[in-house]
Amino acid sequence: MVAGLALSMGLASGAGAQATSSTASTTGSTKAASTKTASTKTAAAKPKADAGVSAAPNKNIGNPNAPIKMEVFSDYECPSCGNFYESTVKQLIHSYVADGKVYLVHHDFPLQMHRYSGIAARFSNGAAKMGKFQDVDAALFDNQAAWTESGDVTKYVAAAMSPQDFTKLEGILKGCSNSPAPQAKFDNSMPAADPNCSVDKYIVEDIQKGYAVPVKATPTFVVTYKGKTYPMASAVSWEVLKQFFDTLLTQ
Amino acid sequence: MSANNSKTGKILLLIGRLALAAIFLVAAYAKMKPQSGGEWSLGSLRVSLAMFAMQVDSYQLLSPQQVNFVAKLLPPFELFLGLWLLSGILLPLSALVTSLLLGGFFATMVRSYRMGLEINCGCFGPGERLGPMTLLRDGSMLALAIAVTVGAFWMYRKRAALKSAPASADVAVGAAG
Repeated sequence: MVAGLALSMGLASGAGAQATSSTASTTGSTKAASTKTASTKTAAAKPKADAGVSAAPNKNIGNPNAPIKMEVFSDYECPSCGNFYESTVKQLIHSYVADGKVYLVHHDFPLQMHRYSGIAARFSNGAAKMGKFQDVDAALFDNQAAWTESGDVTKYVAAAMSPQDFTKLEGILKGCSNSPAPQAKFDNSMPAADPNCSVDKYIVEDIQKGYAVPVKATPTFVVTYKGKTYPMASAVSWEVLKQFFDTLLTQ
Repeated sequence: MSANNSKTGKILLLIGRLALAAIFLVAAYAKMKPQSGGEWSLGSLRVSLAMFAMQVDSYQLLSPQQVNFVAKLLPPFELFLGLWLLSGILLPLSALVTSLLLGGFFATMVRSYRMGLEINCGCFGPGERLGPMTLLRDGSMLALAIAVTVGAFWMYRKRAALKSAPASADVAVGAAG
């Protein structure tokens, strides 16, 4: 079933994803386990909609009333986004998001140049509809190098969830197998959303928001504080980002 | 003919010096102005410098402590350099400092571009991507700074030679007398 979903999504996207094994690799399971442990630590920062399937994907982490809002436009396959997540966003989630200082909002901006980024975004949005965004988000970035190389996104998503949840995710993404996943275009034209795929419209909405910023490269993040916005178009270290937040908060 | 050349040289040097001064004043202003609109204040300046620190950090060249040092020092120094160039005082020295600074910027930008870093240039505030056009622009600015430096030293030596020429003639006359 896992392999079937991966193969169908990969082929449909025109990405030519390789056939997958139905069992997660040891590395994948270990990483997913560490992801789950990390997620448990920040349970307070997790979205509340854990049960059932919500209408819109909740890709936000933290308290919506936090003084600072940080919107990150990211591509799961972009190496800079992976580094930014591992070295900065993780620390941000564990500290300022958990402390209620920052509300973190994820926006998908899968780039045309990346083969599997659209598929990864579909998984992420599907998981977000189930309230499992944080687990899948972490699994995708933690294992970025592996699935970018193999094209086997499904293996790492499955390893980050319980079998029951993954079956539910497959159900959410059932209609996505006949069309390529939407991706941001070089000419800023809007990608098509498959009406049969329940998550595509949310990816397209994110891309549209990204064009409005405008996002020229990933990661790009926009910090909002007291109604003022501060866009930043590159990955930065946690120490320097924290200092920026502290400067805003002491204003 | 020589007087005409000298006059043209002086005019070109003046234009080059004023252009460099304007570049540095604009660069300093762009980094220190309130980044999200609004009024100037100490708070807005601190936010602008903290934002500039993120741009410096994105070059992945310095430690966070060094990033802070550069981010706090560079914009005021650019303002100072712009005013120094505008004043024309000790032009050979100010032009040399400008060339060295622009040379450092250009080398850093080329390195980051070759590394494939998709970052903001940070040269004139946020929102300007590092790419072939920014490299061409900064390369041109470096060429201008080098030209002004060479011109300023040439003028300085010429002036020094003119000053020393009558003095040596006096000495010769004195010796003959």
